[in-house]
This record gives sequence, C-alpha cells and structure tokens, in this order.
Amino acid sequence: MKSISQSKAVAGRGGSPLKAMTRFVGAENLSLIIALILLVALIASQTPFFFAPRNLMNIGMNLSVVGLLGVGMTIVIVSGALDISVGSIAGVASVVSAILVTYAGTVAGGIFAGILAGAALGVVNAAIISYLRVNAVVATLAALSAYRGLAFLIAPEGRPIGVLDQNFALLGSGRVFETAGFPGIPISLILLLVIAFIGHFVMSSTVFGRSVYSMGGNPAAARLAGINLTRMKFYIFTISGALAGLAGVLVTARTSSGQPASGTQGLELEAITAVFLGGAILAGGKGTIFGTMLAVVLLATLSNGMNLLGIPTFYQLVAKGFLLVVAVAIGQWRMARSERAQALAAGGHRGIAP
Amino acid sequence: MSDTPILEILGVGKAFPNVRALADLSFGVRRGEVMAFVGENGAGKSTLLKILAGDYRLDEGTVLLDGQEVSHVDPSQARKAGFRLVRQEPEIVPHVSAAENIYVGELPQKRGVVDFEKLRADAKALLEECGFAGLLDLNASGDSLSPAQRHIVEIARALKPGVKVIAFDEPTSSLTADETQRLFKLVRGLRARGLGVIYVTHRLHEVMAISDRIVILRDGRLVGVTETAATAPDDVVRMMVGRDLSYGFVRQETTRSDAALEVSDLSSRWHRNISFTIRAGEILGFAGLVGAGRTELAKVIFGDLPKRSGEVRVGGIPVNIKSPSDAIRANIGFAPEDRKGEGLILVRSVIENASMAVFSSLSRWGVLRSKMMIDMVSPLIASLEIKTPSLEQEVGKLSGGNQQKVVLARWLAAKPKVLILDEPTRAVDVGAKAEIYRLIDNLAKSGIAIMLISSEMPELLALADRIVVMQGGAISSPIEKLDASEERILSFAIGQHAA
Repeated sequence: MKSISQSKAVAGRGGSPLKAMTRFVGAENLSLIIALILLVALIASQTPFFFAPRNLMNIGMNLSVVGLLGVGMTIVIVSGALDISVGSIAGVASVVSAILVTYAGTVAGGIFAGILAGAALGVVNAAIISYLRVNAVVATLAALSAYRGLAFLIAPEGRPIGVLDQNFALLGSGRVFETAGFPGIPISLILLLVIAFIGHFVMSSTVFGRSVYSMGGNPAAARLAGINLTRMKFYIFTISGALAGLAGVLVTARTSSGQPASGTQGLELEAITAVFLGGAILAGGKGTIFGTMLAVVLLATLSNGMNLLGIPTFYQLVAKGFLLVVAVAIGQWRMARSERAQALAAGGHRGIAP
Repeated sequence: MSDTPILEILGVGKAFPNVRALADLSFGVRRGEVMAFVGENGAGKSTLLKILAGDYRLDEGTVLLDGQEVSHVDPSQARKAGFRLVRQEPEIVPHVSAAENIYVGELPQKRGVVDFEKLRADAKALLEECGFAGLLDLNASGDSLSPAQRHIVEIARALKPGVKVIAFDEPTSSLTADETQRLFKLVRGLRARGLGVIYVTHRLHEVMAISDRIVILRDGRLVGVTETAATAPDDVVRMMVGRDLSYGFVRQETTRSDAALEVSDLSSRWHRNISFTIRAGEILGFAGLVGAGRTELAKVIFGDLPKRSGEVRVGGIPVNIKSPSDAIRANIGFAPEDRKGEGLILVRSVIENASMAVFSSLSRWGVLRSKMMIDMVSPLIASLEIKTPSLEQEVGKLSGGNQQKVVLARWLAAKPKVLILDEPTRAVDVGAKAEIYRLIDNLAKSGIAIMLISSEMPELLALADRIVVMQGGAISSPIEKLDASEERILSFAIGQHAA
C-alpha cells in the first residue's frame, strides 16, 4: 500500500511466504487482519447468527457509510489535519438530497445535490482554515455544530423528510447477484469499493496523493519543495466534504428519509477511529486507504457482534471511545519506537549550537 | 582577590553523534574576574555554557563550582548551586507582568496565594541593585517588552540570591550604546562583589574593554588563556582562526561565464539594498555571524519570505518570485539549513524525498510514472553515492551526510540554474564533509551558479570563488578568493573592518 515503486522493490526480494505476505500487506495491516479473524471467531463462537447471510449483508450495508467517510478522513489525517464536521455535513447532504428527490422528483439531481452540498461545506472549512488561520480541529468543531444546525434549518420545520422513490431506495438497500441461497451484494458496498479503490490509487500514485503525504510529513519542507499548501488544503477538505455528502445521500436512501441528525450523528468519531486504527498517525504523513478499510470492517464487525450479543448501546458508546484512544496510543507507541531507531541510525542530533 | 578559582573546568569533553563539540577543556574562573570566551561560530562556546547551565550532560571531565562538584546537574540544580546563565534570547512568558517574569517558577506566596506586593517590592529592589531601575516597567506585560528589556528581565533573574558565577551570552546584541554602558557598569559591580563573571561575545572591542582574561576556543579545544591587558586584538583574531579544516579539498579555478543570478537593490524586513551577481559555474560564498540575515536572504530570493523591493534575474531574465513554486519554475533550488525541520520529510522514502520538487514533470495527467521516478532517482543515488538499502528507505533512518545528499539529489533532479545551499555541511561528519565539498564543486563545474551560505570559514575559503560578508542585513562588496583570509572575513563580520 506504499507507492508503486515500493511494490516493485518488494516483489524483487525473496523470503518466506509469511515474510512476503507481511511485506505485501504491511505489518500494521497484517495485525488488523489477525485481529479481525480473532474477533470473527469470538463472535461466531458466541452466536450462530453471525454467519447468517442476512447478517453479513447487514454488516456490508452498515460499513459503507462509515467507509466513505473513512476514505476522505484518511486523506485529511495523512495531510496532518482533522475534519470533525463530516457527520454534520452528511446530515446536511441527507436533507438536501431528500428535498430534491421528494419535491423535485429527480433522483440523479438528489444524489448530485447531496455531493455538491458536501463539497461546498468542505470549501467553507478550507477557507476558514486557510484564510482565517483557524486550526483545523477548532474550525471543523465549529462546523460540526453550525452544519448540524443548518441541516435542521433547511429541513421543513426541522423534521425528517420522507422519500418514497423506489429507485433512490435501491442505492441504500438494493442488492445485486441475489439468488435463492445468497442474499446478494449491497449496491452501497460496491459503491464504497469503487470509491476506496479510486482513493487508494489517488493516494499512492498521483502527484496530489504523494503531495498529501509530503505536506503531512513536514509542511515546511513540502512548501520549500514547491507544494502550494493552501491549494492542497482546499482540495483535501473539498474531497472530504464531497465524500461526506455522498455518505449522507446513502443514509437518505437507506432510511427512506432525509435525516438532519439521526443516522449521521457521531459518524466522525467512527471514521477518525478507523483511520487511526488503520495505521495513520496524528502528526500526519502516514496512513493508507487500505488500512482504513480494514479497520472499518473490523469496527463494523465489532459493532454488529455487540448488537448480536445484546450488549446495551451505552456500553457500545464507551467501547467506541476506548477504541479511539487505543488506536492513537498504538500509533504513538509505533512512532516513538521508530524515532528511537532513527536516532540510533542517523546519530540524529541537531548538531552543535554555534 | 583570592586566586582560588570559583569555577573549575577540568578535562571537560562532549561529543554529539558525528561531531566532537568539546575536547579536553581545562581552565578556571577566579573570584572577582571577568573572563571572556571567544571563538568562531561552532568553536564550542555555547556548548560549554549549556553544559554549565545543565542543559547538556558532559561526557567526560569534572566541573567544580566553589569546590562543589556540579558535573552532572539539571538546569534547576545548576541554578541552585550558583551558576546563572543570561541567555542571548531569554524565555519570556508573554501575558504576565515583567515582575512575574523575573520571579517565574518562584513567586513569593502568602497562605498559598501569590503575594503580589512582595513580588513588586522584591523585583524593584533587584532592578535597583542591577542599576537598571527606570529602564523597565515592572507592570508591563511580557510581550510588550523590547529586546533590551527582555534582557534586563533575564539579568535580574540571574542575580537573585545565591549567585556565584554569572555567564552572559552575547549580552549586548540587543542593547543600545547607553544600555551597554550600564551593563558594563553592572559587570564591574559584580566583579567587585567577588563573583565569577563569564562574558561571551563576538564583539572584540567589548572583550578588550571589559574582560580581565580571555579564553580562546577553536573547534571545541582550548587554544589559550591570555591576560587581556597583555594582548592585542589582532592576536586574539589570529588565535581564533588559523587552521586548516578544508579536509585537503582544493577547488580548481573555474572559467567564468555569464551571470546566472542577478540580485539588485533587494530590500525586505531583514535586508536593505542588497545587490550581487553569481555567474554560471561560480560559487559565491556568504559569510557572516549567525543572525546576520543570510538564511532570510536565501528565503526571500526563494519566495518563502516576502521582499519589499528589488529585482531578481535568472539567466538575464527578470523573474517575479512570490512562492517557492515560482522559484522552482525559475530554475532556482534551495537546500535549507535546517535539514530535518525544513529540508526532508523524514517519515517518507528516499525516492519520494528526492523527486518531490519535480513531481509534475514525472507524471502524466497527474498520475506519477513510477518508472520515470526510478529512472531519474537511481542515477542520482549512484552519482551522489547515497548509502541506502533501497529507494524505499525512510530518509529519517539514513545518516546525516546521506540525508544531506538526498536534499542535493532533490535539487539536481530539478536541474536548476541557481542553487542556494544554506550550511550544507551542518551536522555532517568530517568524512562526509569532504565528499559534499567535492559534490558542490562538481555542481559548479556543470554550470550551476551556487550561493553558498556557511558559518565555517575554511569551507568558504575552500569552495567559494568570491566571498561576501553579511552584517546586520547588508553585504560587503565581494572579496576575491585570492585576497580572502579568515582574519579579513572575520573582521568584516564583527564590524572591526575599519580598525
């Protein structure tokens, strides 16, 4: 999941199958895969319903919303920032798309307007961060509140808007390849796969993606290498906003209603947790879409397992908060370890002061 | 005056990875004397002060303060033992009063509450004792203090009870002539009180005016200790320099061609009316003391800091540079002094770091071509002899010299006409230095105009075709290589040229 050239360099080297595998998916991702296998084994041993096709499909549908946010959040966090407003942006997009589909009768227009609304709010975030020089965390925290209010304001009387269009509902709950013994693959999951694939390609192989890694790793060095940080921030927050918009459209399609709050509240926490669990670090410069997607699957499985086992929501909320701390702590520990290794290798003192 | 030293430094040595900062240093500071430390940038003066203040741990040797061993202390223990350092750039808490700044960390208390009355009274008495009464409003908030007033706060902090040895690090750099006279009066008063006073400065006339003895350091070693009264300024300068550390490197004469970089009448917040020309294939050295404005000049030319007026031409064509990307488009490269802070993305790979300035030329429709990247970077790795296990190695895991070469590789990839190198061999070990000199020489031979900023005189003398000296935001006229000597450059840099 590193740059293209790395996979080539990797392919050139020999070693045991396990080592080759570790190199291919990365040590961090391998530990996520192992954790996922253990978790699945644990849940399956406690309840027979986990492997029920319906349940698996449910997991697939649920993770698509968080997954879309996770793709955008990975880009934001790798760049060294944070976007806490994505849940609220999804709320606005949900309402906007419902209004278009219900009152204007246009499904395509509803999807497009939802994405556009998200992108526009992302541009506002970027403008506040770049031109008013407000720290990204504070700016998007303010946006978290403001956009949630905005969603209620544009919803007629602040109430959810019912959406009856069957074609639109397919986006949320439709399935393909459905047969007698197989419930099919949710369309929303396929959408996520496509977006994640594009996201991965953009981050690993384009000038934009590599520039995101550079600015996250060291903004001063990136600037001096000719990368326009302001322009990059606009791109990054616009992408994050647009993906949050798409996630909001999915929420509308799945619940058959434009929801100002329910269904999108708290999504930012899940997306941020997934990105850190997926191997990104708070300081920026590290993290992959692939890792985030693994973490999204892990989180969705965990949440599903807790529901199946009848664990009350309150405990689930505590568990989610706990997980975020664990995810970041692991990242910090990994960084500290590699910094020590660097200091040893490079004799990394800043040199004698004059 | 007693002849027993109040501060004894016995065989002190300190090494940083790759750099030997101090070696086998021994001397004493007596009670009631002012001892000046002189030496070039990097001679070890600041390192020694930081060891005494407890910022750094020494590797070998012993330090005795008033007979008590203080070889391994932390900053608060050093303070308590009686060593006080007046730093060149004092730490000032911005939003509290000057009085609180003086007593920060040890505010007087009454029943658990800060006793502001006692605080002000104590601070006032302290200022009067120093002779700085009237120069500082004790109620003014920290961020409103002028550099001189900040210095006064720092001096007052140092003079709180228990002081035995006080060290001033470049104390007059932010003081006016009148304030300097008051400082001298204070220093003489401290000497009369029987304190040991250490006075570190680049300004030779101050050394001659205020000190009793002079300690001369060079490359972390003691060159000599002399009685000021029996020493001429020229002797001190001669002892400060006079070495051959160019590692046997001698640059061949180059043929000079057309001007590659012309800077005319450039002014900025840091500079006034700077004009110079670098021809293709020429290395123009920039000498000067730390803080003279050389790094800022590089950044102004490179578009990272704003200029006020003036013109920059590359290859005869005027260029309007407003950002680093403009500069790169105008074929200018810049390898900054702070390699880790501004040069490299330590957590990313060698290939990314080497190619990031030219990403767009290695891509089609925004998609990077990995083969083009490898084809471009691999030969650079080979020709610069960068020791790395693979192109994917994290740059942070390379040695200092190899890291610097990755920065050079980045700019070679951009095929610049003008390359600005700011302290290219800082924190690079001795062996790699000679190699980097050879590389810089080769770059110039290939026709690149090089602006070389260095605080190491031997480096400038070995590499530069001509040298300008920068002082206080202005530059001297170029000194031809044949006429250049360390003494001559140093005398320009410390403003002694007329003398």
